[in-house]
Amino acid sequence: MTRLQRSPWLRWLCTLAAAGALVVVLFPVYAVIVGSFESTQTLFSGTYYWLPHAPTLDNYRTVVNAQSGNVLTSLIVGVGTALLSLVVAVPAAYALSKYRLRLTVVLVSSLLVCQIVPSIVLATSLFVVFHWTHLLNSYPGLIIADGTYAIPFSILVLRAFFFSLPNEVMQAARVDGASEWQTFRRIVVPLARSAVITVAVFAFLNGWGDFIFALTVLNGSGIQPITLGIYTYLGNYSTDWGAVMASAAFAMVPAGVLLVVAQRYIATGLTAGSVKG
Amino acid sequence: MAQGGRRGRGGEEVAPAQAAVGPAAPGQGGALVVAGATAPAARSGAPSGHVQHMTAWRKRRIAGWLFLTPAIAYILFAFALPIVYNIMLSFEETSPATIAHFTAPFAGLANYRYVLGDPTSQAAIVHTFEFTAGSLFGQFVIGFALALLFTLRFPGRTLARSLIIVPWLLPLIVTGVIFKFLFQVEGGAVNQLLFDIGIAQHPVDWLDNPHLALWTVLIANIWLGVPFFTLLLYSALQDVPVEVKEAALMDGAGPWQRLRMVIVPIILPVIEVTLLLGFVFTVKVFDLVVGLTGGGPANATQLITTWSYNLSFQQFNFGQGAALNNILLVLAMICAPLYLLLSRGSLNASSGAGK
Repeated sequence: MTRLQRSPWLRWLCTLAAAGALVVVLFPVYAVIVGSFESTQTLFSGTYYWLPHAPTLDNYRTVVNAQSGNVLTSLIVGVGTALLSLVVAVPAAYALSKYRLRLTVVLVSSLLVCQIVPSIVLATSLFVVFHWTHLLNSYPGLIIADGTYAIPFSILVLRAFFFSLPNEVMQAARVDGASEWQTFRRIVVPLARSAVITVAVFAFLNGWGDFIFALTVLNGSGIQPITLGIYTYLGNYSTDWGAVMASAAFAMVPAGVLLVVAQRYIATGLTAGSVKG
Repeated sequence: MAQGGRRGRGGEEVAPAQAAVGPAAPGQGGALVVAGATAPAARSGAPSGHVQHMTAWRKRRIAGWLFLTPAIAYILFAFALPIVYNIMLSFEETSPATIAHFTAPFAGLANYRYVLGDPTSQAAIVHTFEFTAGSLFGQFVIGFALALLFTLRFPGRTLARSLIIVPWLLPLIVTGVIFKFLFQVEGGAVNQLLFDIGIAQHPVDWLDNPHLALWTVLIANIWLGVPFFTLLLYSALQDVPVEVKEAALMDGAGPWQRLRMVIVPIILPVIEVTLLLGFVFTVKVFDLVVGLTGGGPANATQLITTWSYNLSFQQFNFGQGAALNNILLVLAMICAPLYLLLSRGSLNASSGAGK
């Protein structure tokens, strides 16, 4: 490796290899963006055009009318999932790292096991349970279901972070007469800001991108997130590719924005054993 | 600010530092929590007398449980209840009418007998195995190769590393739909490429041919999962001490030997956790297949997840769907003990190396 680093030729060869990998990784995203500006004629011409062929805004005109409500729904669900995850996970992670409770090992183990449970297993039962508890077709129902992706992960990531917090910080607050809640609220949470943002970003992306729970616990008219909106464009025999590409472009926006704005948090979250799906 | 912090510490420093936490994070199991919490309790107890110590200690314990209450309630409602209810459903003779009543007549093992004898369910189980094995193999080989590439110094590597994670951030249904678009018979980018460079004269029916469709889904899933493998393995590679690599170089070990005899053994715990997590993700893949093929053609890409959805939500046989779910759950849980064990093991490794 050290030898490689000295030779400029080999270094550029590495750059070339990485560029090749990036082309494969990013091409589908490029194809969506280009495709979203193509006319129906171009998309159904039987030829794939590598560069924009005859750009038009038609697809976006169709989609803005049909999907803007769905985008709003997805935003509500994403933000709701992030908030629910924080409310549940931050105090729990704190308790599981800084308090000596008898069930800590059991709870942490069960969180690990929760991460393994496939969503379809939960979706089947939650459909009936929600039917029973009148949570079908509701925001709270969908947000609770989407929390199953984010909450175990959030607790585990935040817990790892809280371990790095010196106990002296809390000791000092207690000595100053702060209650347990005040210590948590005023001292611990502000110190955990970066971990909290990481967890919130991932919970948001989970809620925004969820499809399986939207497909099962919504099961009807009314609330429809963008992921479900895209799905309804897929026909068995004919697909309106222009509309699909434009709504897919919308669905990719948060990932793009967060990659630019919150890149540091995303890298942290990914390596912290990210769980998806 | 995020950018500044990142660059200031030198791109490669941030990720690996987190990575030590990475796969280990889930496992920061009992060991650390005990070590972390005993100290302050003992310290605060000593100076302030026995009675006071007891009340302070009790107050803290109650606070701890209050902090945990929302999480426990959530786990009981969103995980424990559905799992238990799923087991109940699988032994019941359900119909669209019974769903409203929460319980249905007891059916014994009828649902399991049906599911295990049903050719489509059998095919779905086989496909799930093939799909999982193929995905893990492809993701690991490509992910590891890219991780090794990123350990070398070359122009543009920081940018490349931050962009490589894009597939992991997209909604899975979007990925499914994009690949459906790219793999179309006519007007699909993949066939166009094969035609333009002269490999294929006739368009390949990637998604309509029952013999090819599962391979196409596999390609899409590998594309999707490579970033995760790359990032975790890259982080682990960053943690291999330079001295170890140099010592191996001094001893005259070639690149392949260094990789096999020195580097792989050191990062083996991370490799194991990564494969395990990869297994867990892949076994539950649903959105991607629904977007790409819907389980077709002729059930050629039907997985346990998609067929279970079909049984429950399209045929309204919730009992049969639940039975298939439980088979999937058992399959996924096979790795649970291993996961718990590995999480604990890599905890010790990381706390030693990291701090």
